[in-house]
Amino acid sequence: MATRLQFENSCEVGVFSKLTNAYCLVAIGGSENFYSAFESELVDVIPVVKTSIAGTRIIGRLCAGNKNGLLVPHTTTDQELQHLRNSLPDQVVVQRIEEKLSALGNCIACNDHVALTHTDLDRETEEIIADVLGVEVFRQTIAGNILVGSYCAFSNRGGLVHPHTSIEDLDELSTLLQVPLVAGTINRGSEVIAAGMTVNDWTAFCGSDTTATELSVIESVFKLREAQPSAIVDEMRKSLIDSYV
Amino acid sequence: MPRKPTGHSSRLLPVRPLTFSPFARSVARVATAYMVKHHARDAMQHSAGDEFKKLKKVERQSESSEDEEFDGVVQADFAFFDPKPDDFHGLKTLLQSYLDNKEWDLSGFVNLILEQTTVGTVVKLEDDEENGVFSIITALNLERYKDHKCITELKEFLLSICLEKDKIGNLRSLLGDKAHDVGLLVSQRVVNLPPELLPHLYDALFDEIAWATEDEPTEELRNSFWFKFYIVVSKIYKHKNASQKRSSSTDEGDAFIYVKPEEEILHKLSMWSFLFPLQTQQVAAHELKNYQLNGIVMAVKAEDISSFRQQLHTLINES
Repeated sequence: MATRLQFENSCEVGVFSKLTNAYCLVAIGGSENFYSAFESELVDVIPVVKTSIAGTRIIGRLCAGNKNGLLVPHTTTDQELQHLRNSLPDQVVVQRIEEKLSALGNCIACNDHVALTHTDLDRETEEIIADVLGVEVFRQTIAGNILVGSYCAFSNRGGLVHPHTSIEDLDELSTLLQVPLVAGTINRGSEVIAAGMTVNDWTAFCGSDTTATELSVIESVFKLREAQPSAIVDEMRKSLIDSYV
Repeated sequence: MPRKPTGHSSRLLPVRPLTFSPFARSVARVATAYMVKHHARDAMQHSAGDEFKKLKKVERQSESSEDEEFDGVVQADFAFFDPKPDDFHGLKTLLQSYLDNKEWDLSGFVNLILEQTTVGTVVKLEDDEENGVFSIITALNLERYKDHKCITELKEFLLSICLEKDKIGNLRSLLGDKAHDVGLLVSQRVVNLPPELLPHLYDALFDEIAWATEDEPTEELRNSFWFKFYIVVSKIYKHKNASQKRSSSTDEGDAFIYVKPEEEILHKLSMWSFLFPLQTQQVAAHELKNYQLNGIVMAVKAEDISSFRQQLHTLINES
């Protein structure tokens, strides 16, 4: 199911949160509503962790991760890194990387199997991504934009990309990612897909300006209607159980 | 349908700093020099249900100043448009801090403004593919929209932040039993919008209100534009040491510094006004280190508006 919410009057949910199949990161915000919305949906399934990265709240755009790992930029403080390592399940490897393109969330889009990256990313970073996240890495552009992490959002079941992506590009990306893709918008016509929403295999969170049409496209392409968290999480039960007291 | 004024050419030179959003790019484009074209409404040609506002070319004022930081001269042609659904995101950005940092139905408020096409003007660049919104001005009748969540939240906010006991009675009355005569005057713009546009912008608004009182299809709607009062919610800088005995030396400075120049006139003409503290953090420029940014709510009588318009013309034309 897809939920609509706001972070302090901003509909850019994907900027202030990062959702994966194994954990969810949420920014420290003005009101508790944002955190509660995630918690009520994800409680008992995966941990929801409040954090900052590099002292900022734009955590969704600074880090990239999946069920295997989380990559944070070099600007992340030691305390933040420690907090993340303590709060996330043991199976999730938290790695701070030295990459000049520090907004990793804007440069990397990934699910549990494949990652798309900014064309100018360092070779070493590409190797770390493949290693830590356990994915196959492809350097790509989306509708001519190099910030692939901003203009698409995909899970293991489907993906949403920039509305101006051509049919050929859509087919090519779909083949690379091995998931169905659709070109669309979020938050009433915004093209910056990943800033407006965050998604995993069974749920999605979108900005409250998202129209009913956009929401139905999202529920359809990410196959959220029949999705049940239990089926997916049971596989990961062993790795998650340690984090609950 | 957008208004297309009679032929002219506009070139926007690509000398801009690096920015990351279409809106910021638009703002950067006009950050330095500009050439402003004014479009005045032709008062004779309004008619009932007319979507087009006929434009009349006024003498082109060309003002170009060269900034040391940027190499070239940037030209921009501003035009006035009716609010359209496409302007949603631009408007939402402009109104982000309208009620300080309160979480309220901002999207609903923006939708309200966009739906009221008869009264309300949006300032954009001509032929701008990115649709950047530079300024909005409109007046919303508080009674007409009283059932909308955004208006109830706005009223609650204003009543909650009014700490001056003698004003709260007046405020309550304007928001309550007198609401059908009250217009919420919403005027927001980018910081560096050329002030030459302001008299025309306000003239456009008050002319549209006058036309609406004649042109609206139903009597109820026509009456809803017979405003007797306007409420303005805005921000001003107050001198931190402002006390009764104001020193007349220039070192002290003025008691208030107005972010928007026309608010100085409105403040003087207002029936009453009160300040409220802002929760959001302020970054103080060096020149403003003695000043604190406060919110302000003012109530202005509609009969003082013609004086306001005259004074605004004088103020802008002199500076």
